[in-house]
Amino acid sequence: MGKLVAYRLAFAVPQLIIISIVVFSLTYLVPGSPAAAMLGTAATPESIAQVEAQLGLDRPPVERFVEWFGALLTGDLGTSFRSGTPVADMLVERVPATLSIVFGGMLVALLIGVGAGVFTGTRPGTPADRIVTGGTVLGLAIPEFWLGLILTTVFAVQLGWIPIIAWTPLTEDPLGWAVGIILPSIALGLTGGAIIARQTRAAMVTSMASPFTDTLTAAGVPRRVQVMRYGVKNSLVPVLASAGVTFAILIGVSFVVEKVFALPGLGTLMLSSVISQDFAVVQGVVMVTAVLVIAVNLLLDIGYGLINPQARPQ
Amino acid sequence: MKKSYLARSFATATVLALAVGACSGDTEEPETTETTESTETGEASGDGPVAGSVLRVNWGGFPENWAPGAEMEAGNMRVPYENLTQVVDGEVQPFLATEWEQTDDSLTLTLAEGVTFHDGTPFDAEAVKTNIETIQNTPGPYSGPFQVVESIDVVDDLTVTLNFSGPAPSMLTTLSTRAAPMASPAAIEAGTIESAPVGTGPWAYDEASSIAGTRMVFGPFEDYWGEKPGFETVQIVAIPEDNAATAALAGGEIDLTDTEANQFTTIDGSDGLERLGYPAIRNNPMFFDRGPGGAFEDVEVRQAACYAMDTAVVAELQPDYVQRTQHFAEGEQGYNPEITGYEHDFDTAQELYDAAGNPTVDVEALATVFTEDQTQIYAEQIGEVGMDITVQSAPPPQYFSEWNGGRYGFGLGGNDELTPYDWYTSWFAADAPGNPAGVESDELKAAADAAIAAGTSEEADALWAEVTKVISDEALTCSHMAGEEFLAWNAETVTGVEAPPEAWETNLVNYRDLRPAS
Repeated sequence: MGKLVAYRLAFAVPQLIIISIVVFSLTYLVPGSPAAAMLGTAATPESIAQVEAQLGLDRPPVERFVEWFGALLTGDLGTSFRSGTPVADMLVERVPATLSIVFGGMLVALLIGVGAGVFTGTRPGTPADRIVTGGTVLGLAIPEFWLGLILTTVFAVQLGWIPIIAWTPLTEDPLGWAVGIILPSIALGLTGGAIIARQTRAAMVTSMASPFTDTLTAAGVPRRVQVMRYGVKNSLVPVLASAGVTFAILIGVSFVVEKVFALPGLGTLMLSSVISQDFAVVQGVVMVTAVLVIAVNLLLDIGYGLINPQARPQ
Repeated sequence: MKKSYLARSFATATVLALAVGACSGDTEEPETTETTESTETGEASGDGPVAGSVLRVNWGGFPENWAPGAEMEAGNMRVPYENLTQVVDGEVQPFLATEWEQTDDSLTLTLAEGVTFHDGTPFDAEAVKTNIETIQNTPGPYSGPFQVVESIDVVDDLTVTLNFSGPAPSMLTTLSTRAAPMASPAAIEAGTIESAPVGTGPWAYDEASSIAGTRMVFGPFEDYWGEKPGFETVQIVAIPEDNAATAALAGGEIDLTDTEANQFTTIDGSDGLERLGYPAIRNNPMFFDRGPGGAFEDVEVRQAACYAMDTAVVAELQPDYVQRTQHFAEGEQGYNPEITGYEHDFDTAQELYDAAGNPTVDVEALATVFTEDQTQIYAEQIGEVGMDITVQSAPPPQYFSEWNGGRYGFGLGGNDELTPYDWYTSWFAADAPGNPAGVESDELKAAADAAIAAGTSEEADALWAEVTKVISDEALTCSHMAGEEFLAWNAETVTGVEAPPEAWETNLVNYRDLRPAS
């Protein structure tokens, strides 16, 4: 097991280095100058040059990358060009909201996905299977943004059950926090649930059609036990594999969903930073997002290895 | 908050940054002196505060930094902060500065007595010095107008002098804008000002009652120096999505929000909700390639293009834009009733173009998501006369960096300068940043020199009106339009909502006139 963890960790390090190089390089491909964007449309060449010098943008890219990467290793993500605030401080404020709804969305996705997948996978071809599978297509087709608005209209405006401005940090009010992430988590989790449901259904159909089920039946093992103890366990292998991808998708989608629910997350910060060419913040958001995705995939890989010995490094 | 967000970007990228150029002119220094005395202190607010009243407003986001010199939406900034001056009906009026004396070389301000910041720090000349120096040293659009301030002398506790390195006839106006909020020097020095605003306004930031990123609460400032407004407390929330903001308004979670035209149906169909629009953004096309041999060198070609453009089409397609004949509104310095603009007339356009000899006009224009439709319409209309304008599309960052840099012969953008001096030195003077061709007619230069020489005297108004007339006659720009900012509110919870007194500011309301409805 230790070998598996070490192997995955060793693999994550070059991933992060490559991502950091790509993220840093991409900022050079964006047309325009951050200084010009800061100063406005009528900035003079002199004032642009002055601000670029202040921001260190006039130095060679390699020199800047080395400095940025060195600082990155110490947790220093630089300072926002626009606000002068340390990027790390900005991210510390923003990450909790994004993580809350992403993990909430994952929970919703797993509950819906595994539940629907097991339900349909154990009765393939039946009307119930067709209805639920059709529902998963609907889940894939509905834009999260639109779903968020519908949920807001129904539960916040019509029913008044949950306020629109509902975000409360977990540390301040755990119950308020939970209430605040319910709707965004549902909006986020539905699509992920549809993906997982289809994966789980396919795995369940295969699993329940395998010869071992005949053996279990012959041994007198009840159908319910066959499904829950053997079928579901076997089906979790591909589900775990797809959960990592789903997590990455949910992070991306959360950037849109948080806007509907007025959540102070990474998405709004990312959008404003891209518009204003605040590259220090953009780089920080991308790096944090990459670390989150890699970390979750690392955990899932380890879990995958635990469930499936064949996936462990030889 | 789509338009608001774009407007923010648009206005931010244009308004005060242009004064970088405005403050770098080298025109002859005038010898004028004007003294203004205060007739009022603070702002009237009606019948005083209503105990326990809370106004909940949404501007779609919070400032990333509350320090002077950082970019802040007016609706956020004007809750805790106040300025040295204010502009009322186009006239600069006292605010935290009660009187002033401006010469060509300096501006001496006398400050209001008995004013303190929310943290108890006295508002005095040292505070003004600290604030202006902070703004000067903050990279961004607001530092430009203050680069003309060479030094600041603290004469005594309530007297401060700004010494200029060049003409600064717009300084009093600049001091009234978002560029120059007065913040506590103690908070600035402590570095806490970035996240916790400390001003002199009637509402003080209450960090304990706020939720980071969700709700900022500004409670009553007991030691406020002026008349207290109707609402004791202001809560600012950040709902960036228009539909969600409308839903929050309809659901009673907020009392007032900025909104967009696409929300009107919902707002009009909801009991108790009302809305208004006020002009907040100005834009107009520019003929950048007007230098020697340039496509728009000939004034008749520019006039032909101006007559070809039909702002009515834009107004029809974009109901939040209204047609105007000139940059400045009636009552503002620079307004000239003799300017009638170039009302769309294709035949006149064709005649002028023919008279100019039908020169080849084949230029490019850079547009971005929020100028693309309008630019494309103008390009097509000008194209009907025989000129060829190709519209290139770019993301906002690239657009802001390049649209007026000289690479493109034609362009459409914000012209949000508040004074004719700023407008002229930003776009039309030979050394203006927005005049990449670097050309200026003798007539325009003479008119501008005369206006600048008049300083802040009474004659300046007529002379600046002459400058704007020359700009119009030479068709250096035309087809003026004003974008409207829309506010929606719950009339069952708040009354007195009108356009803000501060001209040309997006995302703002007349806070101090508002009162609870019940």
